[in-house]
Amino acid sequence: MSSPESAEPTQTYEQAREELADVVRRLEAGGLTLEESLALWERGEQLAEVCQHWLDRARERLAAAAPTD
Amino acid sequence: MTSPSSPEQPWPVRTVSRKVAEWIGRLGEVWVEGQVAQLSRRGNAATVFLTLRDPAADLSIPVTCPRDVADRPGLELTEGARVVVRARPDYYVARGSFSLRATEIRAVGLGELLARIERIRRLLAAEGLFDAARKRPLPFAPAVVGVITGRESAAERDVLVTARRRWPAVRFTVHNCATQGPTAAESVIAGLRKLDADPAVEVIVIARGGGSVEDLLPFSDEGLVRAIAATRTPVVTAVGHETDTTLVDHVADVRAATPTDAAHRVVPEIGEQRRLVEGLRARARHLLGTRLEQQERWLEQVRSRPVLAEPQRLLAGRADDVSGLRTRATRTLTHRIEVADRDLVHARAQVTALSPAATLERGYAVLQRAGGALVRDPAEVSDDEQLQVRVAGGRLPVRVDRPATGEDGAP
Repeated sequence: MSSPESAEPTQTYEQAREELADVVRRLEAGGLTLEESLALWERGEQLAEVCQHWLDRARERLAAAAPTD
Repeated sequence: MTSPSSPEQPWPVRTVSRKVAEWIGRLGEVWVEGQVAQLSRRGNAATVFLTLRDPAADLSIPVTCPRDVADRPGLELTEGARVVVRARPDYYVARGSFSLRATEIRAVGLGELLARIERIRRLLAAEGLFDAARKRPLPFAPAVVGVITGRESAAERDVLVTARRRWPAVRFTVHNCATQGPTAAESVIAGLRKLDADPAVEVIVIARGGGSVEDLLPFSDEGLVRAIAATRTPVVTAVGHETDTTLVDHVADVRAATPTDAAHRVVPEIGEQRRLVEGLRARARHLLGTRLEQQERWLEQVRSRPVLAEPQRLLAGRADDVSGLRTRATRTLTHRIEVADRDLVHARAQVTALSPAATLERGYAVLQRAGGALVRDPAEVSDDEQLQVRVAGGRLPVRVDRPATGEDGAP
Protein backbone atom coordinates (compact mmCIF):
# COMPACT_ATOMS: atom_id res chain seq x y z
CA MET A 1 0.00 0.00 0.00
CA SER A 2 1.25 3.48 -0.82
CA SER A 3 1.95 5.93 1.97
CA PRO A 4 -0.28 8.95 1.44
CA GLU A 5 1.96 11.12 3.62
CA SER A 6 4.74 11.13 1.05
CA ALA A 7 2.92 13.04 -1.67
CA GLU A 8 -0.26 14.99 -2.11
CA PRO A 9 -3.05 12.66 -3.24
CA THR A 10 -4.31 13.51 -6.68
CA GLN A 11 -7.86 12.76 -5.63
CA THR A 12 -9.95 15.34 -3.82
CA TYR A 13 -11.63 14.41 -0.57
CA GLU A 14 -15.00 14.12 -2.27
CA GLN A 15 -13.69 11.86 -5.03
CA ALA A 16 -11.97 9.57 -2.55
CA ARG A 17 -14.98 9.50 -0.30
CA GLU A 18 -17.37 8.59 -3.10
CA GLU A 19 -15.13 5.81 -4.35
CA LEU A 20 -14.63 4.49 -0.82
CA ALA A 21 -18.38 4.28 -0.29
CA ASP A 22 -18.64 2.36 -3.56
CA VAL A 23 -15.87 -0.06 -2.57
CA VAL A 24 -17.57 -0.83 0.74
CA ARG A 25 -20.89 -1.33 -1.02
CA ARG A 26 -19.35 -3.83 -3.42
CA LEU A 27 -17.50 -5.67 -0.65
CA GLU A 28 -20.67 -5.95 1.41
CA ALA A 29 -22.69 -7.15 -1.56
CA GLY A 30 -20.31 -10.12 -1.89
CA GLY A 31 -20.24 -12.49 -4.86
CA LEU A 32 -16.62 -11.73 -5.68
CA THR A 33 -13.60 -13.97 -6.15
CA LEU A 34 -11.03 -13.96 -3.36
CA GLU A 35 -8.55 -12.17 -5.55
CA GLU A 36 -11.13 -9.53 -6.45
CA SER A 37 -12.25 -8.91 -2.88
CA LEU A 38 -8.63 -8.63 -1.68
CA ALA A 39 -7.82 -6.09 -4.38
CA LEU A 40 -10.97 -4.18 -3.50
CA TRP A 41 -10.12 -4.19 0.20
CA GLU A 42 -6.64 -2.85 -0.54
CA ARG A 43 -8.15 -0.09 -2.65
CA GLY A 44 -10.54 0.73 0.19
CA GLU A 45 -7.64 1.06 2.64
CA GLN A 46 -5.89 3.39 0.22
CA LEU A 47 -8.99 5.54 -0.19
CA ALA A 48 -9.58 5.70 3.55
CA GLU A 49 -6.00 6.97 3.94
CA VAL A 50 -6.60 9.66 1.34
CA CYS A 51 -9.76 10.77 3.14
CA GLN A 52 -7.95 10.74 6.48
CA HIS A 53 -5.12 12.77 4.99
CA TRP A 54 -7.44 15.50 3.76
CA LEU A 55 -9.35 15.62 7.05
CA ASP A 56 -6.12 15.80 9.06
CA ARG A 57 -4.87 18.60 6.82
CA ALA A 58 -8.14 20.49 7.25
CA ARG A 59 -7.90 20.07 11.01
CA GLU A 60 -4.32 21.38 10.99
CA ARG A 61 -5.26 24.41 8.93
CA LEU A 62 -8.18 25.16 11.20
CA ALA A 63 -5.90 24.94 14.21
CA ALA A 64 -3.29 27.16 12.52
CA ALA A 65 -5.91 29.88 11.98
CA ALA A 66 -7.10 29.68 15.56
CA PRO A 67 -6.96 32.89 17.58
CA THR A 68 -3.92 32.97 19.85
CA ASP A 69 -5.87 33.77 23.01
CA MET B 1 -23.36 120.75 -26.93
CA THR B 2 -19.78 119.49 -27.09
CA SER B 3 -18.61 118.24 -30.45
CA PRO B 4 -17.85 114.49 -30.70
CA SER B 5 -14.38 113.47 -29.62
CA SER B 6 -11.72 112.30 -32.08
CA PRO B 7 -7.98 111.65 -31.98
CA GLU B 8 -7.51 115.19 -33.33
CA GLN B 9 -10.01 116.73 -30.91
CA PRO B 10 -9.93 114.70 -27.64
CA TRP B 11 -12.01 115.76 -24.65
CA PRO B 12 -10.32 116.95 -21.55
CA VAL B 13 -10.76 114.78 -18.43
CA ARG B 14 -13.11 117.32 -16.83
CA THR B 15 -15.48 117.08 -19.75
CA VAL B 16 -15.65 113.27 -19.51
CA SER B 17 -16.10 113.46 -15.74
CA ARG B 18 -18.83 116.02 -16.08
CA LYS B 19 -20.65 113.98 -18.73
CA VAL B 20 -20.46 110.75 -16.65
CA ALA B 21 -21.58 112.64 -13.54
CA GLU B 22 -24.51 114.13 -15.43
CA TRP B 23 -25.55 110.76 -16.78
CA ILE B 24 -25.31 109.04 -13.40
CA GLY B 25 -27.09 111.96 -11.77
CA ARG B 26 -30.08 111.34 -13.98
CA LEU B 27 -30.44 107.74 -12.72
CA GLY B 28 -32.48 108.85 -9.75
CA GLU B 29 -33.23 107.18 -6.45
CA VAL B 30 -33.18 103.39 -5.93
CA TRP B 31 -33.94 100.95 -3.07
CA VAL B 32 -31.17 98.37 -2.76
CA GLU B 33 -30.69 95.42 -0.41
CA GLY B 34 -27.40 93.94 0.65
CA GLN B 35 -25.06 93.07 3.47
CA VAL B 36 -22.79 95.54 5.23
CA ALA B 37 -19.31 94.22 4.50
CA GLN B 38 -17.22 97.10 5.84
CA LEU B 39 -18.13 100.06 7.92
CA SER B 40 -15.94 103.02 8.68
CA ARG B 41 -16.73 105.94 10.85
CA ARG B 42 -13.81 108.32 10.85
CA GLY B 43 -13.75 110.31 14.05
CA ASN B 44 -16.42 112.92 13.94
CA ALA B 45 -16.50 113.11 10.15
CA ALA B 46 -19.91 113.98 8.80
CA THR B 47 -19.91 111.12 6.32
CA VAL B 48 -19.88 107.41 7.07
CA PHE B 49 -18.42 105.02 4.49
CA LEU B 50 -19.63 101.50 4.11
CA THR B 51 -19.39 98.67 1.60
CA LEU B 52 -22.59 96.99 0.54
CA ARG B 53 -22.06 93.42 -0.58
CA ASP B 54 -24.26 91.09 -2.53
CA PRO B 55 -24.43 87.88 -0.44
CA ALA B 56 -24.95 85.64 -3.48
CA ALA B 57 -22.38 87.15 -5.83
CA ASP B 58 -18.85 88.26 -5.35
CA LEU B 59 -19.41 91.98 -5.87
CA SER B 60 -19.98 95.09 -3.81
CA ILE B 61 -20.67 98.80 -4.08
CA PRO B 62 -19.28 101.58 -1.86
CA VAL B 63 -21.92 103.56 -0.06
CA THR B 64 -21.63 106.95 1.62
CA CYS B 65 -24.17 108.30 3.98
CA PRO B 66 -24.56 111.24 6.34
CA ARG B 67 -23.75 110.45 9.90
CA ASP B 68 -27.26 111.00 11.16
CA VAL B 69 -28.58 108.47 8.66
CA ALA B 70 -26.10 105.85 9.86
CA ASP B 71 -26.63 106.57 13.54
CA ARG B 72 -30.42 106.79 13.42
CA PRO B 73 -31.79 105.40 16.71
CA GLY B 74 -33.13 101.87 16.29
CA LEU B 75 -30.76 101.04 13.50
CA GLU B 76 -27.81 99.05 14.74
CA LEU B 77 -25.50 99.30 11.80
CA THR B 78 -22.76 96.66 12.11
CA GLU B 79 -20.65 94.66 9.71
CA GLY B 80 -22.58 91.61 8.50
CA ALA B 81 -25.98 93.24 8.96
CA ARG B 82 -28.56 92.93 6.23
CA VAL B 83 -29.86 96.30 5.21
CA VAL B 84 -32.20 97.95 2.74
CA VAL B 85 -30.78 101.27 1.54
CA ARG B 86 -32.53 104.13 -0.20
CA ALA B 87 -29.79 105.75 -2.27
CA ARG B 88 -28.91 107.76 -5.25
CA PRO B 89 -26.06 106.70 -7.56
CA ASP B 90 -23.34 109.27 -7.32
CA TYR B 91 -20.19 109.97 -9.23
CA TYR B 92 -17.46 111.75 -7.33
CA VAL B 93 -15.73 113.73 -10.03
CA ALA B 94 -12.64 114.60 -7.99
CA ARG B 95 -11.64 110.89 -7.86
CA GLY B 96 -13.64 109.44 -10.69
CA SER B 97 -15.24 107.00 -8.27
CA PHE B 98 -18.74 105.61 -8.16
CA SER B 99 -20.80 105.20 -5.03
CA LEU B 100 -24.31 105.21 -3.69
CA ARG B 101 -25.30 108.12 -1.55
CA ALA B 102 -27.70 106.82 1.05
CA THR B 103 -30.54 108.93 2.33
CA GLU B 104 -32.16 106.19 4.39
CA ILE B 105 -31.00 102.86 5.82
CA ARG B 106 -33.34 100.20 7.22
CA ALA B 107 -32.30 97.01 8.93
CA VAL B 108 -33.79 93.87 7.45
CA GLY B 109 -35.96 92.32 10.16
CA LEU B 110 -35.68 88.74 11.36
CA GLY B 111 -39.02 87.79 9.87
CA GLU B 112 -37.95 89.25 6.59
CA LEU B 113 -34.62 87.37 6.72
CA LEU B 114 -36.43 84.08 7.28
CA ALA B 115 -38.88 84.85 4.50
CA ARG B 116 -35.94 85.52 2.19
CA ILE B 117 -34.29 82.22 3.18
CA GLU B 118 -37.58 80.48 2.51
CA ARG B 119 -37.73 82.05 -0.97
CA ILE B 120 -34.20 80.84 -1.74
CA ARG B 121 -35.09 77.42 -0.35
CA ARG B 122 -38.10 77.14 -2.69
CA LEU B 123 -36.02 78.29 -5.63
CA LEU B 124 -33.29 75.71 -4.98
CA ALA B 125 -35.79 72.97 -4.18
CA ALA B 126 -37.49 73.65 -7.51
CA GLU B 127 -34.11 73.21 -9.18
CA GLY B 128 -33.89 69.79 -7.54
CA LEU B 129 -30.81 70.58 -5.42
CA PHE B 130 -32.38 69.02 -2.32
CA ASP B 131 -33.64 65.84 -4.02
CA ALA B 132 -33.06 62.59 -2.16
CA ALA B 133 -31.70 61.08 -5.38
CA ARG B 134 -28.77 63.51 -5.23
CA LYS B 135 -27.69 62.33 -1.79
CA ARG B 136 -24.44 60.40 -1.99
CA PRO B 137 -23.63 57.56 0.42
CA LEU B 138 -20.81 58.22 2.88
CA PRO B 139 -17.67 56.07 2.75
CA PHE B 140 -17.64 53.30 5.38
CA ALA B 141 -14.36 54.14 7.11
CA PRO B 142 -12.73 57.15 5.43
CA ALA B 143 -8.96 57.47 5.78
CA VAL B 144 -9.06 61.25 5.63
CA VAL B 145 -11.97 63.44 6.77
CA GLY B 146 -12.05 67.07 5.69
CA VAL B 147 -13.33 69.42 8.38
CA ILE B 148 -14.45 73.01 7.81
CA THR B 149 -14.94 74.84 11.07
CA GLY B 150 -14.02 77.90 13.10
CA ARG B 151 -10.51 78.00 14.52
CA GLU B 152 -10.32 76.31 17.93
CA SER B 153 -14.06 76.09 18.09
CA ALA B 154 -15.98 73.66 20.27
CA ALA B 155 -17.41 72.24 17.04
CA GLU B 156 -13.93 71.39 15.77
CA ARG B 157 -12.96 69.73 19.04
CA ASP B 158 -16.22 67.74 19.16
CA VAL B 159 -15.74 66.38 15.64
CA LEU B 160 -12.05 65.53 16.04
CA VAL B 161 -12.22 64.04 19.53
CA THR B 162 -15.34 61.99 18.91
CA ALA B 163 -14.19 60.66 15.53
CA ARG B 164 -10.74 59.70 16.89
CA ARG B 165 -12.28 57.91 19.84
CA ARG B 166 -14.53 55.88 17.55
CA TRP B 167 -11.95 55.16 14.85
CA PRO B 168 -8.37 55.89 15.99
CA ALA B 169 -6.89 55.49 12.49
CA VAL B 170 -8.87 58.41 11.08
CA ARG B 171 -6.92 61.44 9.83
CA PHE B 172 -8.19 64.98 9.31
CA THR B 173 -7.57 67.84 6.96
CA VAL B 174 -8.92 70.85 8.80
CA HIS B 175 -9.80 74.09 7.11
CA ASN B 176 -10.34 76.84 9.64
CA CYS B 177 -12.40 79.78 8.50
CA ALA B 178 -14.84 82.45 9.57
CA THR B 179 -18.17 80.90 10.46
CA GLN B 180 -20.13 84.10 10.89
CA GLY B 181 -20.12 87.60 9.51
CA PRO B 182 -20.06 88.87 5.95
CA THR B 183 -17.07 86.81 4.80
CA ALA B 184 -18.18 83.49 6.30
CA ALA B 185 -20.02 82.05 3.29
CA GLU B 186 -17.17 82.87 0.95
CA SER B 187 -14.62 81.51 3.38
CA VAL B 188 -16.54 78.25 3.76
CA ILE B 189 -16.86 77.98 -0.02
CA ALA B 190 -13.09 78.43 -0.39
CA GLY B 191 -12.48 75.63 2.15
CA LEU B 192 -14.99 73.41 0.42
CA ARG B 193 -13.30 73.84 -2.97
CA LYS B 194 -9.87 73.21 -1.48
CA LEU B 195 -10.93 70.02 0.36
CA ASP B 196 -12.97 68.79 -2.60
CA ALA B 197 -9.92 69.16 -4.83
CA ASP B 198 -7.83 67.01 -2.44
CA PRO B 199 -8.16 63.40 -3.66
CA ALA B 200 -7.25 62.02 -0.21
CA VAL B 201 -10.29 63.60 1.43
CA GLU B 202 -13.16 61.11 1.31
CA VAL B 203 -15.83 63.07 3.15
CA ILE B 204 -16.20 66.71 4.23
CA VAL B 205 -17.76 67.87 7.49
CA ILE B 206 -18.97 71.45 7.84
CA ALA B 207 -19.40 72.08 11.55
CA ARG B 208 -20.42 75.08 13.57
CA GLY B 209 -21.90 75.46 17.02
CA GLY B 210 -25.24 77.06 17.73
CA GLY B 211 -25.92 80.76 17.32
CA SER B 212 -28.56 83.33 16.53
CA VAL B 213 -30.44 83.23 13.24
CA GLU B 214 -28.23 86.09 12.04
CA ASP B 215 -25.09 84.20 13.07
CA LEU B 216 -26.15 81.19 11.07
CA LEU B 217 -27.14 83.25 8.07
CA PRO B 218 -24.00 82.42 6.02
CA PHE B 219 -25.08 78.78 6.09
CA SER B 220 -28.22 79.66 4.18
CA ASP B 221 -26.19 81.49 1.58
CA GLU B 222 -27.27 80.55 -1.93
CA GLY B 223 -23.69 80.51 -3.18
CA LEU B 224 -22.61 78.10 -0.43
CA VAL B 225 -25.58 75.82 -1.06
CA ARG B 226 -24.69 75.65 -4.75
CA ALA B 227 -21.03 75.02 -3.93
CA ILE B 228 -21.99 72.05 -1.72
CA ALA B 229 -24.22 70.69 -4.47
CA ALA B 230 -21.29 70.92 -6.89
CA THR B 231 -18.78 68.95 -4.79
CA ARG B 232 -17.51 65.54 -5.83
CA THR B 233 -16.94 64.56 -2.19
CA PRO B 234 -19.91 63.74 0.08
CA VAL B 235 -20.68 66.53 2.57
CA VAL B 236 -21.99 66.21 6.12
CA THR B 237 -23.30 69.36 7.81
CA ALA B 238 -23.59 69.97 11.53
CA VAL B 239 -24.58 73.59 11.89
CA GLY B 240 -26.13 75.02 15.02
CA HIS B 241 -28.32 73.07 17.37
CA GLU B 242 -30.70 70.38 16.31
CA THR B 243 -33.55 72.86 16.09
CA ASP B 244 -31.74 75.23 13.75
CA THR B 245 -32.23 74.51 10.11
CA THR B 246 -30.07 76.23 7.57
CA LEU B 247 -30.17 75.72 3.82
CA VAL B 248 -26.87 73.81 3.81
CA ASP B 249 -28.66 71.14 5.85
CA HIS B 250 -31.03 70.58 2.95
CA VAL B 251 -28.34 70.22 0.32
CA ALA B 252 -25.90 68.18 2.41
CA ASP B 253 -25.67 64.45 1.76
CA VAL B 254 -26.15 63.84 5.47
CA ARG B 255 -27.43 66.34 8.01
CA ALA B 256 -26.04 65.73 11.47
CA ALA B 257 -27.77 67.20 14.49
CA THR B 258 -24.53 68.35 16.15
CA PRO B 259 -20.77 68.22 15.49
CA THR B 260 -20.56 65.14 17.75
CA ASP B 261 -23.31 63.49 15.76
CA ALA B 262 -21.40 64.31 12.56
CA ALA B 263 -18.40 62.38 13.92
CA HIS B 264 -20.71 59.43 14.60
CA ARG B 265 -21.96 59.55 11.03
CA VAL B 266 -18.59 59.74 9.26
CA VAL B 267 -16.64 57.02 11.07
CA PRO B 268 -17.71 53.59 12.39
CA GLU B 269 -17.15 52.57 15.98
CA ILE B 270 -14.05 50.38 16.08
CA GLY B 271 -15.10 48.17 19.00
CA GLU B 272 -18.43 47.45 17.39
CA GLN B 273 -16.71 46.55 14.11
CA ARG B 274 -14.22 44.31 15.92
CA ARG B 275 -17.06 42.49 17.66
CA LEU B 276 -18.86 42.12 14.37
CA VAL B 277 -15.80 40.64 12.67
CA GLU B 278 -15.10 38.38 15.68
CA GLY B 279 -18.68 37.15 15.59
CA LEU B 280 -18.53 36.33 11.90
CA ARG B 281 -15.17 34.68 12.37
CA ALA B 282 -16.44 32.49 15.20
CA ARG B 283 -19.46 31.49 13.15
CA ALA B 284 -17.31 30.54 10.17
CA ARG B 285 -14.95 28.53 12.38
CA HIS B 286 -17.82 26.74 14.09
CA LEU B 287 -19.44 25.92 10.77
CA LEU B 288 -16.23 24.52 9.35
CA GLY B 289 -15.46 22.60 12.54
CA THR B 290 -18.89 20.98 12.54
CA ARG B 291 -18.56 20.03 8.91
CA LEU B 292 -15.14 18.51 9.55
CA GLU B 293 -16.31 16.52 12.56
CA GLN B 294 -19.21 15.18 10.55
CA GLN B 295 -16.84 13.97 7.84
CA GLU B 296 -14.47 12.49 10.40
CA ARG B 297 -17.32 10.54 11.97
CA TRP B 298 -18.37 9.30 8.56
CA LEU B 299 -14.87 8.12 7.73
CA GLU B 300 -14.49 6.44 11.12
CA GLN B 301 -17.78 4.65 10.67
CA VAL B 302 -16.86 3.46 7.16
CA ARG B 303 -13.45 2.29 8.33
CA SER B 304 -15.00 0.31 11.15
CA ARG B 305 -17.34 -1.59 8.81
CA PRO B 306 -16.37 -5.32 9.02
CA VAL B 307 -15.43 -5.49 5.34
CA LEU B 308 -12.70 -2.90 5.88
CA ALA B 309 -11.82 -3.30 9.55
CA GLU B 310 -11.42 -7.10 9.57
CA PRO B 311 -9.97 -8.15 6.28
CA GLN B 312 -9.14 -11.57 7.80
CA ARG B 313 -12.85 -12.30 7.59
CA LEU B 314 -12.44 -12.28 3.86
CA LEU B 315 -10.25 -15.38 4.39
CA ALA B 316 -12.13 -16.94 7.26
CA GLY B 317 -15.04 -18.26 5.22
CA ARG B 318 -12.77 -19.46 2.51
CA ALA B 319 -10.53 -21.43 4.92
CA ASP B 320 -13.61 -23.20 6.31
CA ASP B 321 -14.63 -24.07 2.79
CA VAL B 322 -11.26 -25.59 2.07
CA SER B 323 -11.05 -27.61 5.28
CA GLY B 324 -14.63 -28.79 4.77
CA LEU B 325 -13.87 -30.03 1.32
CA ARG B 326 -10.70 -31.60 2.59
CA THR B 327 -12.56 -33.48 5.31
CA ARG B 328 -15.12 -34.62 2.82
CA ALA B 329 -12.41 -35.87 0.49
CA THR B 330 -10.65 -37.78 3.28
CA ARG B 331 -13.86 -39.31 4.51
CA THR B 332 -14.84 -40.46 1.04
CA LEU B 333 -11.47 -42.08 0.43
CA THR B 334 -11.39 -43.82 3.80
CA HIS B 335 -14.82 -45.25 3.14
CA ARG B 336 -13.74 -46.59 -0.22
CA ILE B 337 -10.71 -48.30 1.30
CA GLU B 338 -12.82 -49.94 3.96
CA VAL B 339 -15.26 -51.20 1.38
CA ALA B 340 -12.42 -52.63 -0.69
CA ASP B 341 -10.96 -54.26 2.40
CA ARG B 342 -14.25 -55.97 3.19
CA ASP B 343 -14.54 -57.18 -0.40
CA LEU B 344 -11.09 -58.69 -0.14
CA VAL B 345 -11.89 -60.67 3.01
CA HIS B 346 -15.04 -61.95 1.44
CA ALA B 347 -13.26 -62.97 -1.74
CA ARG B 348 -10.60 -64.68 0.28
CA ALA B 349 -13.23 -66.76 2.09
CA GLN B 350 -14.76 -67.69 -1.21
CA VAL B 351 -11.37 -68.69 -2.56
CA THR B 352 -10.76 -70.80 0.47
CA ALA B 353 -14.15 -72.43 0.21
CA LEU B 354 -13.65 -73.23 -3.45
CA SER B 355 -10.03 -74.53 -3.18
CA PRO B 356 -9.22 -78.32 -3.54
CA ALA B 357 -7.29 -78.33 -0.27
CA ALA B 358 -10.26 -79.74 1.64
CA THR B 359 -10.56 -82.64 -0.82
CA LEU B 360 -6.85 -83.34 -0.47
CA GLU B 361 -7.30 -83.38 3.28
CA ARG B 362 -9.67 -86.19 2.86
CA GLY B 363 -6.85 -88.27 1.26
CA TYR B 364 -7.27 -87.48 -2.39
CA ALA B 365 -4.26 -86.66 -4.52
CA VAL B 366 -3.80 -84.62 -7.62
CA LEU B 367 -1.37 -85.65 -10.33
CA GLN B 368 0.33 -82.91 -12.31
CA ARG B 369 2.63 -82.97 -15.26
CA ALA B 370 5.79 -80.87 -15.35
CA GLY B 371 3.85 -77.93 -16.86
CA GLY B 372 1.34 -78.05 -14.02
CA ALA B 373 -1.50 -79.56 -16.09
CA LEU B 374 -3.68 -82.04 -14.22
CA VAL B 375 -3.53 -85.65 -15.37
CA ARG B 376 -7.03 -87.00 -16.00
CA ASP B 377 -6.24 -89.98 -18.30
CA PRO B 378 -3.36 -92.57 -18.18
CA ALA B 379 -2.99 -92.08 -21.92
CA GLU B 380 -1.92 -88.52 -21.37
CA VAL B 381 1.34 -89.49 -19.84
CA SER B 382 4.25 -91.39 -21.33
CA ASP B 383 6.34 -94.12 -19.73
CA ASP B 384 9.01 -92.99 -17.32
CA GLU B 385 7.57 -89.43 -17.33
CA GLN B 386 8.30 -87.45 -14.19
CA LEU B 387 5.07 -86.27 -12.51
CA GLN B 388 4.12 -84.53 -9.34
CA VAL B 389 1.64 -85.82 -6.84
CA ARG B 390 0.01 -83.22 -4.68
CA VAL B 391 -1.48 -84.33 -1.40
CA ALA B 392 -2.66 -82.40 1.57
CA GLY B 393 0.75 -82.50 3.15
CA GLY B 394 2.74 -81.33 0.09
CA ARG B 395 4.22 -82.40 -3.22
CA LEU B 396 5.74 -85.76 -4.09
CA PRO B 397 7.73 -86.50 -7.29
CA VAL B 398 6.83 -89.82 -9.00
CA ARG B 399 7.71 -91.75 -12.18
CA VAL B 400 5.38 -93.59 -14.48
CA ASP B 401 6.32 -97.34 -14.18
CA ARG B 402 3.82 -99.15 -16.42
CA PRO B 403 4.12 -102.94 -17.25
CA ALA B 404 4.30 -103.77 -20.96
CA THR B 405 1.14 -105.92 -20.82
CA GLY B 406 -0.88 -102.95 -20.67
CA GLU B 407 -3.54 -103.30 -18.14
CA ASP B 408 -4.74 -100.03 -19.40
CA GLY B 409 -5.59 -97.95 -16.52
CA ALA B 410 -8.25 -100.14 -15.22
CA PRO B 411 -7.96 -99.64 -11.53
